[in-house]
Amino acid sequence: MTSETPLMSAELSRRGFLTGIGLAGAGLALAACGSSSGSRPTEIVFYQSKPEVIGYFDTLIEQFHQSQSRVRVRHDSASNLAGTFVREAPPDIGCLNYNFEVSRYVDRGALSDLGDMPEAGRIIDELHPLIDVTASYPDRTSVIPYSLMAAAVLYNRTIFSQHGLRPPTTWDEFIAVCTTLASAGVTPIYSTFKDPWTIAQGHFDYAVGGTVDTTKFFNQLKRQGTNVDADSPVSFEKQFLKPVEQMQQFVPFSNDNAASRGYGDGNLAFASGEAAMYLQGPWAIGEIAKSNPDLDVGAFPLPMTNDPDDRRVRVNIDLALWIPEGSTKKDAAREFLAFLMQPEVIDAYNAHALGFGVTKDAAPVTNETLVELKEYYDRAAFYVGASQLVPQSIPLQNYAQSLAAGDKPEPVLRTLDADWRRLAFRS
Amino acid sequence: MATTAAPRTRSRDDATPGPMRASHPRANRTFYLFLLPTLVLFTLCITLPAIMGITLSFTNSVGFGEWQFTGLTNYLALFSDPAIRASYAFTIGFALVTVVLVNIVALLLAVGLTAKIRAKVALRAVFVLPMVISGIVIAYVFNFLFSNSLPQVGQTLGISSLETSLLANPNLAWVTIVIVTAWQAIPSALLIYIAGILSIPGEVYEAASMDGASSLRRLSSITLPLLAGYVVINMVIGFKNFLNAYDIIVGLTNGGPGTSTRSVAMTIFTGFTGGDYAYQMANATIFFLIALVLAVIQLRLNRGRSAF
Amino acid sequence: MTAQTLVTTTPAQVAVRRRRRFLGRSGGDRPTWGVTVVLVLCTLAVFVPLYATLSMAFKTTAQSVDGKIFSLPAPFSIDGFVQAWKLTNFPRGFAISVFVTAVTVVGTVVLASFAAYAIARNWDHRFFRWSFFYLLAAMFLPFPVLALSQVKLTGMVGLANPVGVALLHVMFGLSFSVLLFTAFIRGLPEELEESARLDGATTWMVYRHIVFPMMAPMSATVAIFAFLASWNDFMMPSLITADSTLQTLPVLQNIFQTQFSSNYNVAFASYLMAMTPAIVVYLFTQRWVMAGVTQGAIK
Repeated sequence: MTSETPLMSAELSRRGFLTGIGLAGAGLALAACGSSSGSRPTEIVFYQSKPEVIGYFDTLIEQFHQSQSRVRVRHDSASNLAGTFVREAPPDIGCLNYNFEVSRYVDRGALSDLGDMPEAGRIIDELHPLIDVTASYPDRTSVIPYSLMAAAVLYNRTIFSQHGLRPPTTWDEFIAVCTTLASAGVTPIYSTFKDPWTIAQGHFDYAVGGTVDTTKFFNQLKRQGTNVDADSPVSFEKQFLKPVEQMQQFVPFSNDNAASRGYGDGNLAFASGEAAMYLQGPWAIGEIAKSNPDLDVGAFPLPMTNDPDDRRVRVNIDLALWIPEGSTKKDAAREFLAFLMQPEVIDAYNAHALGFGVTKDAAPVTNETLVELKEYYDRAAFYVGASQLVPQSIPLQNYAQSLAAGDKPEPVLRTLDADWRRLAFRS
Repeated sequence: MATTAAPRTRSRDDATPGPMRASHPRANRTFYLFLLPTLVLFTLCITLPAIMGITLSFTNSVGFGEWQFTGLTNYLALFSDPAIRASYAFTIGFALVTVVLVNIVALLLAVGLTAKIRAKVALRAVFVLPMVISGIVIAYVFNFLFSNSLPQVGQTLGISSLETSLLANPNLAWVTIVIVTAWQAIPSALLIYIAGILSIPGEVYEAASMDGASSLRRLSSITLPLLAGYVVINMVIGFKNFLNAYDIIVGLTNGGPGTSTRSVAMTIFTGFTGGDYAYQMANATIFFLIALVLAVIQLRLNRGRSAF
Repeated sequence: MTAQTLVTTTPAQVAVRRRRRFLGRSGGDRPTWGVTVVLVLCTLAVFVPLYATLSMAFKTTAQSVDGKIFSLPAPFSIDGFVQAWKLTNFPRGFAISVFVTAVTVVGTVVLASFAAYAIARNWDHRFFRWSFFYLLAAMFLPFPVLALSQVKLTGMVGLANPVGVALLHVMFGLSFSVLLFTAFIRGLPEELEESARLDGATTWMVYRHIVFPMMAPMSATVAIFAFLASWNDFMMPSLITADSTLQTLPVLQNIFQTQFSSNYNVAFASYLMAMTPAIVVYLFTQRWVMAGVTQGAIK
């Protein structure tokens, strides 16, 4: 975002003193005011920062430009999004992972209502609870999902068949698989604890989501307000303890140097067959293929109980579209949004990015790794990762890192409860 | 860094400009023009944000959108927040350890670099070099050394405690931050000590050596006492800089493992990226008060030693 | 460290060195080899990380992932540089860094010397005296305290860009620079200025033709510190600059750190390119750095 016209929004009076400050620098502000008159096309800023598909969206923008001449799109992939909102110069349209980061824009009403767009009606019904548990603003459709990612345990099919193993369907089988591999001298799981997010979205989320209904849990947690502790109906300490203990049982099956390995190292190592399993989402599949396109990768949901029917996959709304209230070019932004939502465009994207469709008319997934997860998706046996639902001001990823390093779970989960209470208290 | 100021005062007694400017009863208008633009800019860029930030700390703002005044809520939450307390404990502890380490090493190096040695100019140039390298860049370099090379060295030498990365050890990760910070901070302290030692008149040493003082004795009874003012300056500047620790931590541990190396500055910035704007403004306000108290203490310690 | 070397040297050597040291700083003419050797060994602490950067940068990606930091590049490859150059758009980052630093250095020297001259020559006026303490107070104000508000303010007035970063760099360097300049100007003899005035020179002319030239050594010192602080700063540009394509070199390293992934040679080539300009400038100016910082003492 370059510094364009500072937007003085509706609550001008409330921020009297801020405005005064703004006027103090008016001379400078005037200089920055762009002249956007005339019949030239409207330029909108499109914020999209998922690194794997930046180039893909550039191509889409090119197509959009060729299809019409009213709207020009400028692709912003590296600005600090929080900064653009703090500076009151948000992008005109965003396409972002729908999680703790976007949730505060939704909660504070910073995103405009898209409920009147026909595209909103095409979203499959099962996704609505997932959208609402992440964030909601009364009577508004703040976001339109674009791509759904189903994540599970990636496994090296070749290593598995060499040792006569099949994807485990129960917790006991899973531990048995790990033990067999370990005693055969194969590293069962490749972990990258240097990057805290990899633990949060992998080990932690899989363990928790395999046991706890995260949608129910977080809805209840929000209802409880500041009443979150060992005696309340739900709390991290109560519901998360068991899965976290299980997580600490399988973490030791990781590579010895997990603590000093990062995401990049992990992709490389798994691609070269250094380990049998890798707890990463579909975004890693493309990265792995970059260094070893021939690797035969499968996927299975991490079984956390001994009932095979409990198996569910972790999903996240990997991309969702939204238009900020602060945008002055909402109509142009909506035009681009409608273009992106055209069935052939959205299907092509999801096929490319290995996502699952979010619309009722979406094409089925065909990737040979992900087809293993299709049955779970089709019967909505999925959950939103807990790490996606905790506001960013609580350093959950760091806590997950401590847990992976072997910290006792009870104090960490109690801290998490206390953080949640404090957040509820002050917001 | 205040070197130039400090020794000057010692050697001059006319530091306080007296009433000798009686010839200009009113300040020349040009002087106002010299000063006013700076004052205005300074007020806009420094004072105003400070007032603004303190005001917002009494609200529930997330940096944008709707907000209300919430009184002392943020402060109450702040004082009960173990993460905040931990960040202060870490930052102050880290600053203390680093400031002591930096000053000991810098002082030793300064003594060595002012002794009769070969290649004096080249050696000084080498030891000052780290000063010019960006903290975040050098932190990334050390990050690689600590996660990849040191474990290999440990394996080769059979030192088991080195075989796992120090960065991944919640109890030792702070050591890496101290090392890298010291690596970068020693040069400026070193320069000040060199300046200090050079300002000690040679005759003092000659007299001492005639009295038969050993080199160690000369260090402890001549060099050190005469350098006391410089030690204070270095401690004050260093401590202040280390309290703001940010770049190097971002490049090395990013606050981890877990939350073991989150500094106050890092925590405050999460208010920006993590949507906790008003809460972290309250944190910043407290941080400011602490800095203010430290400043007052430092000024007292410094009285009579610095330029003013 | 000195103690360690004492252990490894023979008693005879120690005795020799003792005698020499005994002669004192201005006594013996011959250099003490022991101290020199110790110091040379200590330079390893400076050189090892730099050597690592250099050798990693010239490796191939395949060789760089083995983590053997001391091995020489084989084969020698500049592929890392080519990729890093393109990935980070180095020329632009470099230009932005140069711009921010140049504005900061000039701005600091001009504004601080103006202000310091006005203050030093009007110390008996309350306004100037208090202004001095007002400016000085910021020296104790940590940047994090102001950061979030400054992000908002710079955004509102259209300064969320390198110009704003340079302006804030000047403002944060002001306290220290005014302090240095004021102390220096007070040490300057006033007779020259007075006689120039008697000849009809205005304050501006006095400053331009007498005071500023005499302040040259201090201006050099202030400029060097302003250069280092601005060139290497990460915190301020990373927060203030909105458009990441206008970021300075240190911030670019942070932005691209995840994209370097495990292409360590690319990462290190990029680090090397980011640190080289400052090292080159340093090699050419280190004489003045030393002189600038030590001049007060030598006086």
